[in-house]
Amino acid sequence: MIADEPRFPGPLRRHLLSPVTRIALRVQQEILGAVRGFLAARGFVELQAPIIGPVTDPGVRGAKQVDIDYYGARYKLMSSAILYKQAALLTFDRIFCVAPNIRLEPPETASTGRHLVEFHQIDIEMAEASREEAMAVLQGLVVHTVDAVVRNLAGELEALGRDTGAFAELLDQPFDRISHAEAVARLEAAGHPQRGAAELAWSGERALSGKATRPFFVTDYPKGSRGFYDRESRTSAGVLRNFDLIAPEGYGELSSGSERESEYARLVTRMRETGENPAKYVWYLELAREGIRPSAGFGLGLERLTRYITGLDEIWQVTPFPKLAGVVSP
Amino acid sequence: MTRLHAPGFPEELIRARARTGQAAAFPSEKEYGHAVFGAVPTTGDDLLDRMRLAPPIFMPQRLEKLIELGREPTYADVELTTLIGGIPARLPVYVSALGSTEAAGSGLGLSVIRQAARLGVPLVIGENVASTSGYRDTETAAGLHLRIKTYLAELRGEHGGIVVQQNTEDADSEVWNLVYSDPVVADLLASGRLAFELKTGQGAKPGLGGMTVLDAADATRLAGRYVLDTTFGRGALLRSGSPGTFTEEILGQQIRLMRNNYPRARVWVKLPPVRDVRAAALVAWSAGADSVTVDGGEAGTGWAPLAFLQHAGLPLAECLRRLGPPPSCVLVSGRMWEGARAVKCLALGATAVGLGRAALLAVDEGPENGLVNLVECLALEMRMLVSALGKYAPARLGPEDVWLPEAGS
Repeated sequence: MIADEPRFPGPLRRHLLSPVTRIALRVQQEILGAVRGFLAARGFVELQAPIIGPVTDPGVRGAKQVDIDYYGARYKLMSSAILYKQAALLTFDRIFCVAPNIRLEPPETASTGRHLVEFHQIDIEMAEASREEAMAVLQGLVVHTVDAVVRNLAGELEALGRDTGAFAELLDQPFDRISHAEAVARLEAAGHPQRGAAELAWSGERALSGKATRPFFVTDYPKGSRGFYDRESRTSAGVLRNFDLIAPEGYGELSSGSERESEYARLVTRMRETGENPAKYVWYLELAREGIRPSAGFGLGLERLTRYITGLDEIWQVTPFPKLAGVVSP
Repeated sequence: MTRLHAPGFPEELIRARARTGQAAAFPSEKEYGHAVFGAVPTTGDDLLDRMRLAPPIFMPQRLEKLIELGREPTYADVELTTLIGGIPARLPVYVSALGSTEAAGSGLGLSVIRQAARLGVPLVIGENVASTSGYRDTETAAGLHLRIKTYLAELRGEHGGIVVQQNTEDADSEVWNLVYSDPVVADLLASGRLAFELKTGQGAKPGLGGMTVLDAADATRLAGRYVLDTTFGRGALLRSGSPGTFTEEILGQQIRLMRNNYPRARVWVKLPPVRDVRAAALVAWSAGADSVTVDGGEAGTGWAPLAFLQHAGLPLAECLRRLGPPPSCVLVSGRMWEGARAVKCLALGATAVGLGRAALLAVDEGPENGLVNLVECLALEMRMLVSALGKYAPARLGPEDVWLPEAGS
């Protein structure tokens, strides 16, 4: 067991020299290898995600985008590869990327233990796939990855004080799933105020996560809590065909995914419902007008998965050059 | 310095209040003893102007107050402090949206902001400010960040707060995201005194977006983000924002997303004077809006086509009639500057009234105290009128307190 680290990263030299950092990054390398192997074996093609573009995922929960001057045009650093993932399915049936994302999150996220301003997502998109197929891939991917790390880096996990017994259920049993409405009911019954029309509050999600002993899915988030591209149910108005994967032991959300809207008129209408100006999505909407493929996919946070597997308290411990909201850092 | 004008507005009366404050609520004291006074017959077609406040003789609520105080109550006993869309205010008045229109972006705008803060009344910062003038990069009077800092520098006590509007073009500039994560608003957020107002239109030009007149240099900078029209020939260009497209579903979902994204901010919704104002307000409230602002057809500080100023949009009185007794907070603006019009609106269901043009005129007259004087005069009138109706808080007013000639009794 390595001695406790502070809540916030100290000087960069100390962080880079820390044995915790070194082991966490070794685990992350193992994770990436396992992910690539798993996905390649199932026909996924790895693409390099764009870093800049005229528009990016609008995001929710108050995270800001970063503008850059692109030869006089206003461009964005990518906060998510979602729009490009959908477009890329014109080339391949199944794609993935390890995509860098920048989100200037509200300062209060600096202390959640699981928010970084600069992070990576293992981003997957599958043409003509249902939500259930995407969830099956995600479950298989997480189980395969945890199994690889436990098998190959047992000594490293032990050095970090991570009890691999925590993964026994994950490796052995399917992940549970509950609907967002059920999650709200459970939270309210436990005395956590939670609005039915909103994203689960971080404190409530942490409480649900803390009670779980293996990862579980939350499905069917309400419209008004997610972006325009999550597909609305055609049979239950206002309910999205989406999901989050929540890690147990209080580690919280690892991944968000969904079936996607792909019809032009629905995309434009949903953009308005999320307060977006369709004019700025011109390249994406032009593709959609001519036809993009129905799909499902997800983004799995690389640093969050690494934190969960290593059992570290703070997400900055699993990245070499951490950037926390509101903290000016290298 | 050019004097500000507001055609069709009682400019001289407002300037007098900005100079002399509460004294302007009365005829000149020099005439006392030398003249007799009565009502001047009301002309014009403004429905609110034609209404009269109708005090009763029997006043059970005054009796309640008498018992509480152990003496006869006076107008000084009227309690004006109130919650406006969740924000505590010293009286049921807010300073309504002063956006990117040039009159608001000058030093006048900053005077309005300073005095609103000193008064402890909420300030609404209008649309297109950050989209046209930037957020933090500019230190001109028009910058959004500077407007917020200016207000906070003068804010004392527990009353007052800031409301930031966002329209479609502002959404591109992520105005709310910028404000929400700015450390400068941390105290406001912690005390529930920051609100975001979703703008769906405005009084002066319902169905149109914000309009301003730009010179060629500004026009080049904003090309691509706004519609620019060479209406005025060479030199000046007309810049138009988009009013945005709304259905019940779009409005409801936008509000839910605001509550989802900014859980610590109040949510306000601004409606233009539209025929379906009640349906829109009900959607807003049921989606969780803390407040709905209705801009009467007679409202607005911005640039609008004459056809709209004269002919488009319902008058405020009709908007209030269509809204009926509101289940939640309604804020109204439109030709507000004195107590009687304000009290009529409060009696018809409004929680507070917004000062727009009157605030700019008042600070044009008195850069240090013009708005403070105007509002203190308005507050005195409110107290006297509310107490004359036998009530001691604006929330106790009701439609029985107002008489409309056409209604007969």
